[in-house]
Amino acid sequence: MGCAFGFFLTASGLGNYRTIHDGLLLRDSYMYLMMAATVGTAAIGIAALKRRGRTLFAGPLEVPRHPVRREAFYGGAVFGVGFGVGATCPGITVAAIATGNWYGAVVLAGILGGLWLRGIVADRAPPRVATVRDLL
Amino acid sequence: MPQVLPEQLPWWVAGPAIGLCVVALYGLANVKLGVSGGWLQVVLVAQRRPVTEPWRLWFTGGLVGGALLAAALGAGRAVGYGNLSAVMSPGLLVGLLLLVGVAIGYGARWAGGCTSGHGISGCSAGSPESFAATATFFGVAIAVTFAVHLLTGGAV
Repeated sequence: MGCAFGFFLTASGLGNYRTIHDGLLLRDSYMYLMMAATVGTAAIGIAALKRRGRTLFAGPLEVPRHPVRREAFYGGAVFGVGFGVGATCPGITVAAIATGNWYGAVVLAGILGGLWLRGIVADRAPPRVATVRDLL
Repeated sequence: MPQVLPEQLPWWVAGPAIGLCVVALYGLANVKLGVSGGWLQVVLVAQRRPVTEPWRLWFTGGLVGGALLAAALGAGRAVGYGNLSAVMSPGLLVGLLLLVGVAIGYGARWAGGCTSGHGISGCSAGSPESFAATATFFGVAIAVTFAVHLLTGGAV
């Protein structure tokens, strides 16, 4: 599946800085159309899977759905800054490297560093303040 | 190698194809497709920590392989880094892109996913958190892009 994903992501041209950048400048609709097509197809597929209820190799189907946490916004914002300046994301960077854009390797090094760094920060963070319920 | 693929697959081919990947991973193995999670497993390996989702290592390997295959078959080649290359020296660009990467990696781990994990897998599953994360990704990215565009007088 990884191969298929990587193949289509690269073949879609999203590895090209210009495609994403122009999309973020709201000049080029490719990225949005593609995401819509992806999510639309997947949503239909998932609905069909749910009706079936079972996965092929892993028992009952559980599609994760998470309530919104603050971290989604904080992390989302930080990610968005990188995404905006670099017009890339973890998957696209691989597509970029594969199509000969060696700068993608620089971004990837940064991504691995950022993932690692967040792990350290998260491990050091104090536990959430206890709720009133905990004190009772 | 032969130019089998067009420079860029139409969105209505690549989009549904990837959508099917998402569905296939749920249907076959009950797992959520996401790229940052895969790289996170790589980081765990490097830290000699226990790997929590070993399949992601395979997925990431496959991702790289598939990307190389598509490139070999003629998918669009990119040189340089677009306008950013035009306005700054390679040395400065490398530094900037490292920071870009750190922001992406840090933000993805913080938010619990990236544009594939939250953006396509989470949204198609209807997860509220994914909608929020994806909206934030794109909202901030667009705002930042416009800001940079204006600040550089349209150069970037």
